[in-house]
Amino acid sequence: MARLLASALQLRRNPRILKLPPYLSFLCILVGVAWLFLLPLDQYSRRTYISENALLPGQVHTYFSGSDQNVFRAYKHEVAALAGKTNAQINDGLEPLLRGFGLKTARQNFTYHAAGRAYAGENLYAILQAPRGDATEAIVLVAAWENVRRELNRNGVPLALTLLRYFKRWSLWSKDIILLLTPDSIAGPQAWVDAYHDAHDPSRVAGLPLKSGLLQGALAIDYAQEGRFESLHVVYDGVNGQLPNLDLINSVVHIAQGQMGIGVALQEMWRHSNRYGDRLRTMLRGMVRQGLGLASGPHSAFIPYHVDAVTLRPFGQGWQDEMALGRVVEGAFRSLNNLLEHLHQSFFFYLLMQRERFVSIGTYLPSAMLVAANFTIMAIALWVKSGQPGDAGDDDKAPPPPADEDPLPTVERKLFRPLAAVALIHAVSVVPLYLFNHAPESALAPLFALFALLSAASRPSSPTSSPAPPPPAPSSPSRPSSSASSSPSPSSSSAPPSPPSPPSTSPSP
Amino acid sequence: MAAVAKVSPGQAAGLYAAAAALRLAVFAFLPGLSDLLAARVEVSTPVTSFKRLQEGLFLYNHNVSPYDGGVYHQAPLLLPLFSLLPSFAALPLPTDLVYVVLDLLSARAIWRIADSGEAGSSALFTSPRRAKRWSGFVLAAFFLFNPFTLATCLGRSTSAFTTYAVLHAIANAVSGAPLGAMVALAFAGYLSLSPLLLLPPLVLLAYDRRRPAGPAPRSGPAFAAVCAAAVAGVLGALFLLSYLVTGSWEFLPSTYGVQLTLSDLSPNIGLWWYFFVEMFDSFRSFFLAVFWLHLSSYVAGLTLRIRRQPLVVLTLLLGIHGIFKPYPSIADTSLFLALVPLYRHVFPLMRYTFLSASVILYSAFLGPAFYYLWIYAGSGNANFFYAITLVWGLGQSLLVCDLMFAVLRDELEVERPEIVGKEIRQI
Repeated sequence: MARLLASALQLRRNPRILKLPPYLSFLCILVGVAWLFLLPLDQYSRRTYISENALLPGQVHTYFSGSDQNVFRAYKHEVAALAGKTNAQINDGLEPLLRGFGLKTARQNFTYHAAGRAYAGENLYAILQAPRGDATEAIVLVAAWENVRRELNRNGVPLALTLLRYFKRWSLWSKDIILLLTPDSIAGPQAWVDAYHDAHDPSRVAGLPLKSGLLQGALAIDYAQEGRFESLHVVYDGVNGQLPNLDLINSVVHIAQGQMGIGVALQEMWRHSNRYGDRLRTMLRGMVRQGLGLASGPHSAFIPYHVDAVTLRPFGQGWQDEMALGRVVEGAFRSLNNLLEHLHQSFFFYLLMQRERFVSIGTYLPSAMLVAANFTIMAIALWVKSGQPGDAGDDDKAPPPPADEDPLPTVERKLFRPLAAVALIHAVSVVPLYLFNHAPESALAPLFALFALLSAASRPSSPTSSPAPPPPAPSSPSRPSSSASSSPSPSSSSAPPSPPSPPSTSPSP
Repeated sequence: MAAVAKVSPGQAAGLYAAAAALRLAVFAFLPGLSDLLAARVEVSTPVTSFKRLQEGLFLYNHNVSPYDGGVYHQAPLLLPLFSLLPSFAALPLPTDLVYVVLDLLSARAIWRIADSGEAGSSALFTSPRRAKRWSGFVLAAFFLFNPFTLATCLGRSTSAFTTYAVLHAIANAVSGAPLGAMVALAFAGYLSLSPLLLLPPLVLLAYDRRRPAGPAPRSGPAFAAVCAAAVAGVLGALFLLSYLVTGSWEFLPSTYGVQLTLSDLSPNIGLWWYFFVEMFDSFRSFFLAVFWLHLSSYVAGLTLRIRRQPLVVLTLLLGIHGIFKPYPSIADTSLFLALVPLYRHVFPLMRYTFLSASVILYSAFLGPAFYYLWIYAGSGNANFFYAITLVWGLGQSLLVCDLMFAVLRDELEVERPEIVGKEIRQI
């Protein structure tokens, strides 16, 4: 063992070792990316399963049908009559319906200012108090007046109203049920959830006059299309890439697919062959959405508060009617109603590639880690290299005396200036942060282009060549003549770009 | 060659003014940031939290025992000090000024330690590399603008008092004021217990640096006895004063008892809490003894082994305390990191600086993220945060070990000049 260690230490002094890191880090990237593309295979992904036994999805009969269809049609007429009116008029029209069920209702005003625009509105919500509960837990049913594509939720709102009226007749609820009607799909739910958890800014968002218990889960209905539907699209991405517990998605899939016979699609994959290509596409779409971190529906606002939520959106032309969607919601609510504790069993970090197939963090993380490891490997290699005498530019020291013994002598590194430069550059990043946060919406795209060009132009090139040509004016997207070097491709650092531009350039970003 | 440049008084004043201005500006213009930091587990532990201090202060000002709520675990004499200041809620400036001044005084103490040259040449050992060192100005700047120090000051953690007391004790010891050093150490021990473990190396340091004409006794044992008696006397007086202030001896179990028995299991960046959360109660007292024994076992070993450089022992012990004490925070790390640059002359002998710096940086950024995943997002669990505190401890222990290796190698090269520049080998 000692000899092995000694030979390993000998090996460390071998100068050939230092040639290795670039290849090693390239290998890491290669393996990491290849790993990603292996994930959709059967051997590496897993079938989904329900971890939380209390959920019992699809184990109950659902009774939402029959005469409720007439009720639904009636509400649909009520909602259609309110279409095109102002937010307050809509709420004035809907609130009596909710009060008619015998529920407590309340409203909440909010105003957000973002990117030079104001998002104002009024949320309306009603609380169905659990006949068997003690108001310590609640489930939320969300129906936004407009979905994320700004279409009128013409079937979703009546369906939610019908469901609540139907739920009121049952005595088996052990959790309160909250119906939340918001004017839009992003700002309204955000304001309501913020205020529910007392995390709102009271100057912009009003507090909630009426509250229930801890939110255990939320379902949003986005049913804007007219008529019957074919399958159900489950939208699950939260803001900043957060995901709901996998058990919730699995339950919905199980109820819709297994019990009701409704197909389920994910990530706008309307047709899914369950082959490699479609799985990979679903997974990559999920990754891109997580990376962008945008809200994808009314459910997105709930997830940061540890309230698991999904949006159900019917699509396609088929023979499923509103009642079928209502039964799915009923089944899901019955499952959530069974919960004894907050959903925690299943995964929070996963990539779904088909409705019944996923990879968990333990399987996909090594891929990301390998890609990340290449930075560390190269950093260590460059650090070691920076300690070697000779090739460093400003080596004003005398050569170290024991050079004959030591194949890898080290010199002192001068760190103050590089560290100060790094700290300064990171501090300067406050400027784009501030600008992007405060610029009006119309200025964002040109601003982004400007910063992209600036960062491409200020990319460190070889010390002899002049900096890259100046960025074009931010308003015009037309490229200057030397377009090759202004593109942010990293390959041009070794090959000197087009002949140095005339001296009139030299921008100082 | 980093020659020690003369620093004009103007530059020193500029440094202090810049540090104070930065802190006061954040206090004044970003009050949200200091409140946020005060709530962070990395900054505020149960025994140093400013929020808990305010709770204790409220009880104290209403003539209730501050320890009744079971929230306040800090030294009783902080209460009269803070109740002399105007109420923090109404006028925060005087309290903020106290913290700023504490940081400046700590920086001044570091400056004195650096200028004494003790790190490079002690009474029994003179390093051949000692010419390469940083001035007190650089060290003070390094301390004052260290993000960990800034966070501690902005989070108003009361460990700033302990930091100052420890640094003041070392500064007094190197400048030949043994009595002052012992009084300062007693204060540090009174405030947070674990600095008392620094007594043996500090006595040695004070003994090595005593003035020949001073009143202190000449012989070693007598000197040590006088020093120990001084610490015990001052501690006794402080305890008595605390008794008079709070009216009972209740503060002993509520402050030192909490540290000794780890009765508050709030998460922190140390290694204790998770062990004791997971442990069956029947093993608790055994492992408490083991953990404390572990922490204190370094004192004797290091003091004997590096007898010739007591300041090194103090630095290493402070680093070890930052890893292994019951409620560590980044304040302990900042204290250790403040003393590390004293050994600029052995930096070329250190082997894992890049590695330990990377590990510390990684964990410093990942720690808050994992804590968020556990506590707020709910998508992680306690293991996430505990894993990152392990990495944090690993980074610090790499630095401690590396520094120890470099110092020992430096000593060895003086003893055996023929090995200079040669690779060490395990035989």
